[in-house]
Amino acid sequence: MTLVSALGVVLSRSVVHSALFMSGSFLGVSGFFVMLNAPALAAFQVLIYVGAVTVVILFGIMFTQKPQVRRYRTIINRQFWAGFLVAVGVGAFLAYVLSAEDWGGAEAGNGPRQVGAFGRDLLGVSQGAEIFTLLYEVASVLLLVAVVAAIVVSRRKIGEGVDRGVRE
Amino acid sequence: MPQIPTQVQEFLDTLVAAPPLEGYLVVGAILFAIGAWGALIRRNALVVFMCVELMINGVNLTLVAFADYLPNAGGLGVSYAVLVLAIAAAEVAVGLAIVLAVFRSRRTVNVDEVTSMRG
Repeated sequence: MTLVSALGVVLSRSVVHSALFMSGSFLGVSGFFVMLNAPALAAFQVLIYVGAVTVVILFGIMFTQKPQVRRYRTIINRQFWAGFLVAVGVGAFLAYVLSAEDWGGAEAGNGPRQVGAFGRDLLGVSQGAEIFTLLYEVASVLLLVAVVAAIVVSRRKIGEGVDRGVRE
Repeated sequence: MPQIPTQVQEFLDTLVAAPPLEGYLVVGAILFAIGAWGALIRRNALVVFMCVELMINGVNLTLVAFADYLPNAGGLGVSYAVLVLAIAAAEVAVGLAIVLAVFRSRRTVNVDEVTSMRG
């Protein structure tokens, strides 16, 4: 389901269909997270990606939508097969390296299934996770900067250009 | 109660058992490759953003798989994955704002036509 939806993102003609396929793909990935003993991360994935990011991208589509010609020649540039070759090369190389390597003693079930342990890891309280105290603060500052930057960049400047963006 | 045939029982056992680590890694690699392909070939900037999100998800899946399977990881990869998630969300916010600004000044979101950064 994840991979089929990912292909749908790349190959669907309509941008809205791409966004919906993308949320389907994210749902598949969150299912993988549940299988990997990270139910809290799966919940974050559903909330942030399937909820927030998809909605934000749909808003972006609404703002920038034009009547489109729905033909592959207009939505895809000329590097279709070259890009396909590059992507298949990268994917085959990664898959080969990752599966040829001998991950000795790899067994499932090392993850912090308890949400409490996961939270202590994330806040840097537990043993061996002290770096997360710093990373957590850095991430929060980065989110603040990103919000301010998003507002500044997308703001319509007063007295510059005409509304709807036609420049004089 | 009907007797379940042996083959069916084995098949059900393989369905329930934990998949090998390589399965997750290969799925993550293919997700990354599909995202890279889309980011290379699509013209719409929004679709390029979605494909970048797909690539981030592939990497995240690999990270969490390693965190769960390798004994010395201690499950810390999940915390890193949360940080990656937050940074990806910030990237989407800033990226969408940039796309809107470009669209407002040029009336297009086609990445082939946006070749100059001058307003």
